Formats: sequence, structure tokens, C-alpha cells
Amino acid sequence: MDGAANITAAALLQQILVGLSRTTILFIVSSGLSLVLGVLRIPNVAHGSLYMIGAFLTYSVATLAGGGTVGFIVALTVAPLGVALISFVVERGLFCHLYEREHLMLLLFTFSIMLVFGDLVKLIWGSDYRSLTAPLFLQGSFSIQGFPFPRYNLFLLLVGPLVAAGLWFLTNKTKIGKIARAAAVDREMVGAMGINVSWVFAAVFVIGCYLAGLGGALVAPTQNITQGMDHTIIIEAFLIVIIGGLGNIWGALLGALIFGLTDAIGILIWPQFAIVFPYAAVVVVLLFRPKGLLKSTW
Amino acid sequence: MGMEKEHRHLIFLGIPVMAVLLLLPLGVSRFYVYLVSLMLVTGLLATSLNLVLGFGGMYQFHHAVFYGTGAYALALVVTKTGWPWWIGFLAAPICSGALGLIMGVITVRLSKLYFGMLQISLGSLVWAIVFRWYAFTGGDDGIHGIPVPDLIGSSTGAYYFTLAVSLTALFAMYRILCSPFGRTFQGIRDNPERCRALGIHVQRHQLVGEGLAGFFASVAGALFVTVEGSVFPDLLFWTLSLEIVIMCLLGGWFIFLGPMLGAAIIVTLRTFVGIYTEYWTLVLGIVLMLLIFFLPEGALGLVLRHREPAAGSGKEA
Amino acid sequence: MLRITGLNKSFDGFQAVADASLDIEKGEVVAVIGPNGAGKTTLFNLITGQLTPDSGEIWFREENITGLPAHVISRKGIGRSFQIVNVFDRLTVFENVQIAVLARRGNTLNLFRPARSMAVKETGDVLANVGLSEKRTMTSGMLSHGDRKVLEIAIALGSRPELLILDEPTAGMSPDETAATLDLMTRLSGDLGLTILFCEHDMGLVFSIANRITVMNHGATIIQGLPEDVRRNRQVQKAYLGGDVPC
Repeated sequence: MDGAANITAAALLQQILVGLSRTTILFIVSSGLSLVLGVLRIPNVAHGSLYMIGAFLTYSVATLAGGGTVGFIVALTVAPLGVALISFVVERGLFCHLYEREHLMLLLFTFSIMLVFGDLVKLIWGSDYRSLTAPLFLQGSFSIQGFPFPRYNLFLLLVGPLVAAGLWFLTNKTKIGKIARAAAVDREMVGAMGINVSWVFAAVFVIGCYLAGLGGALVAPTQNITQGMDHTIIIEAFLIVIIGGLGNIWGALLGALIFGLTDAIGILIWPQFAIVFPYAAVVVVLLFRPKGLLKSTW
Repeated sequence: MGMEKEHRHLIFLGIPVMAVLLLLPLGVSRFYVYLVSLMLVTGLLATSLNLVLGFGGMYQFHHAVFYGTGAYALALVVTKTGWPWWIGFLAAPICSGALGLIMGVITVRLSKLYFGMLQISLGSLVWAIVFRWYAFTGGDDGIHGIPVPDLIGSSTGAYYFTLAVSLTALFAMYRILCSPFGRTFQGIRDNPERCRALGIHVQRHQLVGEGLAGFFASVAGALFVTVEGSVFPDLLFWTLSLEIVIMCLLGGWFIFLGPMLGAAIIVTLRTFVGIYTEYWTLVLGIVLMLLIFFLPEGALGLVLRHREPAAGSGKEA
Repeated sequence: MLRITGLNKSFDGFQAVADASLDIEKGEVVAVIGPNGAGKTTLFNLITGQLTPDSGEIWFREENITGLPAHVISRKGIGRSFQIVNVFDRLTVFENVQIAVLARRGNTLNLFRPARSMAVKETGDVLANVGLSEKRTMTSGMLSHGDRKVLEIAIALGSRPELLILDEPTAGMSPDETAATLDLMTRLSGDLGLTILFCEHDMGLVFSIANRITVMNHGATIIQGLPEDVRRNRQVQKAYLGGDVPC
């Protein structure tokens, strides 16, 4: 705790910005998880695997496309779509037979998918980690009162609100969004209106998983792409969704903010135990609001 | 299914199985003695989970925390203090039982998925502390070469100790499930609302269940240290927790010995599949998928269903 | 024995129970009737603590029990059955009732004695009383619907209540089973002296057993009186949308 006294305003600001960039990734991933959880009632443990696959795909596509700015942009477009395609196959091939099962079975089933995907990634990409450099115009950093702030993080800070706005538009202004929200509340009613609920579910699942892939693609240049990144992100995403309110996308935003910021500030206060801070924050939130901060769709 | 109905199968199967277990070190190599020890430890762990999962209907998603806490309690007492090994072995269930009660106080207010998720967050907190506290827990390296008393130091000695302790623990759990508490607990599983209408304080019973589950899981954890001589943070990582849930599902979670069978199958599979391929989790994943699609009552559940037409209709969603 | 005044409960703006009042004397058999959605089940859930009222008071034996948790109210002597069958599906018939007996005796936290030998006689008596003795070893999830409804009542009896609340005890039963349930209710009231509050759509059963009848509509208790008064009352006929109340 010795460093605590030396925290300057600039360092704090820098950490908050870093935390907010992390929040962007967390929000994108957990909003997808929340969407699937809210509408389909599936606690999708394999969501983290799709994030990992998104990151690995981004690496491969960017490399195939010749790297550089073009490669990155192509990868950022293609990789999440590839993840969406995988999720579409999984949903139509496996999940759609299981909707009536209880939550525990669904959770275990998605866990089995996580196990399979984990090893498939190992099979395809090997056990070594990969790293991807950001395109030139996003490399390097500029300084905030003497502290460096990576350009790529600024890029993330711009992407976050864009995705949030897109999600808002999707859920509030489009037909499928409205149907999905109605289905989250009352499945039977939507079915009774002559809408094919099964395809609505498929669409929502694919959109949710696309977000996992997008999160993976965006995170790719910021860290090593490794086995096991699925394990970490999925727990974080679940906790974010829980503290935000199951199925509530804005809850996911709020949860991601809490998670990202406590993590970043934890690094400043007590680096060795920084990892403990967000978990502790989650516990504190749940002590007072056991069903999450915002209204759950459950 | 009530506990009473299983009784006959238990005796029927129990005697030959016991004979084999007792004579095992005389007939097979050290490797198999070790393998069976691991089965017993893992089986005890899975049975302790099933105490609250299959018989209490609680979504205990992070059971490994209690296992790991028990293992670390023994390891830390042995390596950090001058106290005798046996004190460490007693400290394990006390620590985890207490942890179970503390986590229980916080979590039993919620039910089902919320309960499970809050437990995962609390458990992850414990994991994160163990994972990072290098000075005390060894961090992600863990602690290795934990000494064992001479009496049970040999692999045969460790085996008989594990056998004796796990059978005692299994018997204790069986007795508890046959007690008024156990019966009420199963009633709460089937229908908590009805139990409240009968004057039963549901949350208090769930709290006791949590404490018991933590207690017995840590016995398994302490046995693991006895057999393996080491601890590491993966012992309380959430993926292990879900693997234990799979064991219960695989063996059948409405049957007392189901998780024991499930654990034996998983341990065997992991050991032998591991010889041929490094892609063990792929195999586990596929086994689990097939299981959920075709055998939701578990292996032992299937056998028992063919013996007598029982198995009630699942109602609780 | 039970006195309810000015009870209100609403869900998301829907007034399920509106200013309901009810009075039950010891030893009475009181029926609550009314169309579907009149608030009968909600009223029962408020009495037994499954729900908490928004306002109003519930007094049981000179004691205010408004808003107490369900398990506390149960221990004060109010037992109930549920409209939708609410038994312990994976346990045997015997175990179902035994849990109720053990709960009443305060034994449910006992970890050490085998339950097999506990409360056997009393549980057996309850099962004999309702006619389920022969099915005691059956898993309750395997019972017929009628038997499950009877088991519902048996579980409630296991806690030896002074006031027994039955929510549509004969719903979905065959005529024979209904007759047997009517007989059972008569015996419970006559031989054991139980006070019974029930709701029921079978008017034949209502008028053949109830000492007094309360009519509910739109969440309100619109009339409480003797069976013959209720039968003649025009409001009641209106509540049933002009349908004839069978004589």
C-alpha cells in the first residue's frame, strides 16, 4: 500500500482512461452475453470462447490480408462475422433443440461447447500465444501531463459509444429488436402473434455472439492472444451482467464501468492485488442489490 | 427418489466393491493404487457437491472453492507453522465449513441462477487472493512437496488413509441425508414454497447445507494434499467447479453414489485419454454434450430406472 | 379465530385484492367463491404469508400476523394446500407427509437420527385418515392427479393446523374422487374439529359443506353470509355473469 500516497491526479486520470478503454471491451462482450441471457435465457458460458476465437481469427485474417492498416480493418470486419457464422451453426445445430431444458442443463451444455472450442483453438492455432500490432495510425501514444496514453485506447474509447448507440438503435428502433424485447418478457405471446420465435432467437443469439467476436477482435492488438483468455473474460462478463441486471444491456454498460474502473484504480492502489478489486466491487454491489443495479428482464 | 429405496442396492453392491477396495494394493501396481486414491478423493468431492446440488436443489456453481480452501489450509498449516500434520488435517474442514457458512449467509438470500452467480463471484474473490498472494500461498506456483506423516507416507499408506477417511465421510453424508434434515432438504429441493408453508425456515436449512458441503469438500481437499503432496490455485478455479458438476450429472445426481461413479469415470477417462492425446477437454466436452442430449439422468440413474420404475417427473425449473 | 380487515394487494397496478374482509369462528367451514381471477388465491396467499399485503390487517387467534413470513405463520397453526399441486415430487408419499410432521415437531435440523424411525405413527395416521396408506411407498410424482390432490391435503394435515386453508381441493378430480374429498373434509371438520377455509368452483360441494360463504369479485369480498342467503343474493348471481347458482 506504500504507493498510495504518491498517486497524482495525472496518474489517476491516466488510469481512469485505461479503465474506460477496458470498459469498452468488457461492455461489448457482456452486452452480447446479456442479450442472449435476457432473450433466450441461456447462460452462455461459451461466449468467452467466441471472444477468444474472435481474437485468433482477427490475428489470422489480418496476417492473411497482408497486415498493416488494410489487414486490420479487414480483420475487424471479417473476424466478428466469422464468429457470428460459427454461432449460427451452433444455434441451429444444437441449441435450438434444448430451449425447453432447465437453466442448469443449458449452462452445462454451453460449458461443454466451451471445452470443445477451447481445444479446437489449441488444435488450429497451437499452444503458443500470438500478438497482433495495431495499424500504424493507431500505434504509439500521446502524453497526458507526462503520462503516455496509447492511441489505440483512444480508438477503443470512440468505438464503445458507437456500439452502445448501435445496440440502442437495434433494440429500440428495429422490428427484430422490438420482437426480441417482447420475447424476453413473454415468449408465448410473441409466438401467439404468429412470429417464428425460433428464428428470432437465432437472430438474437447470432447478434450476441457477434458482439463477443467483436470484443475479441478489438482486444487483439492490446494483449497477447492466448489459450485461457476465454476463462477470464467469461467470468468477468457474467459478473458484469449480474451486477447490471440480467438481460439489461444498459446494466451491462454500468457493470462494465464498475468492473473496468475498479480494476484500473486497483492497479494504482495495490498492484499485486489489483485483480481482487473488481471481484470485491461485485460482491459489495450484490450485497446491497442482490438482483443487480438495473431492472432485470427475468 | 428417497434415500430408503437405494438402501438395498447399496448393500448388494457394497460388499464386493469394499472387498476389492481393501485388497487393491495387494494386487495392482502403484499407479493403479494412486489412480483409485484419486478416484476416491474426487468422488468424495463430487458427493459433497451433490449433497447441496442433487439433494438440496441449490445451484452450487463454485464448489471447488471449498475443496481448494481445505487443501490450502492443510498445506499452509504444515509448511508455515510448526504444528503437527494432523492439526492441519483438522484445520481444513473447520476453515471450509466456516467459509461455507460465511458465503452461505450472503448467498442463500438468492435462489437458482442468482445464487450460483453470486457464489461464483465470491469464489473468484477467494481464488484471486490465493492466486496473487505469493508471499503466503505461493501465488500461481502453489506449494509443492508438502510432507506427509510417515505412517501414511507410502503410497499404500496414503491409499488406506484415503480409503478410510473417504468412506467415513461418505457414510456420514449418507446418514445426514437419511436424517430429518436430509429429508427436509430434499423437500426444499422439490418445493421450497411448500416447505415454507409447513413452517420450515428454508434459508436456515440451506445455510446448514452450505456449511456441510464446505466441510466435506475440504476433507476431499485435505486428502488430495495427502495423495499429491501439492496445492495450486487451479484447485479453486471455477472451471474445476463445473467439472465437478459434470461428474454429478454423469453419475446421476438423484442417487447418492451417482457422483462417485461419475468421478470415477472422469478420472479414468482423463488419465487414459491423456496418455493418447493432449486434447482431453475436447473429449470431455463431447462426452458432456452427448450426456445432456441422451442421458440427462446420468449413468447410474439409467441403471436404477431399469431395475425399478421410479424416478419422479422433474418439476422445478 | 381469523379476522381480516381492509386487505389490499396489487401487482403492477392490477388490484388483485381490494378491501377484502373476512371473519371465521373456530370450528366453522367457510367457503370463498367467485369467478376466476376474483382474487381468491391471492387472498389465501396473503393469509399464509406467501405474499405481503399492501395494506389491511390479518389477525389470527388475537394476534396480528400481517406480513409475517410464511414459515412463521405456518407455525402459528395455519396449514394450507395449493391449487396447483405442490407436493415433493421425488419423495415417497410417506416422506411427503413425514416432512410436515417433522417440521411441526421442530426436528428438521436434526442431522444425526435416521428419519426412518421418526414420526412413523403420526404420519401413518394422517395417511390412513386420507386413504393413502396403501400408496405410502410410491414416489409422489408417479401418483394420479386425484391422489396428488389428496396428498396435498395430507401434507397440510401433517402440520396439525388449527385453521386449514384449501385452495380448490377438488380441481381436476373425478366425481368419485370429489365425493371422497367431500367426505374427508366433513370428517376433518366433524371428528377433528378443524376450522376450514376453502375456495372451490364445485357449487354442489360448497353448498353441501360450508357453514358460511364469502363471495369475491374483482378482488373485493362483496358478501359474507349463510349459504341460503348467498344463494338468493342477486349480486352473487351478477358476479357469475347472470349464471345460475346451482341449488
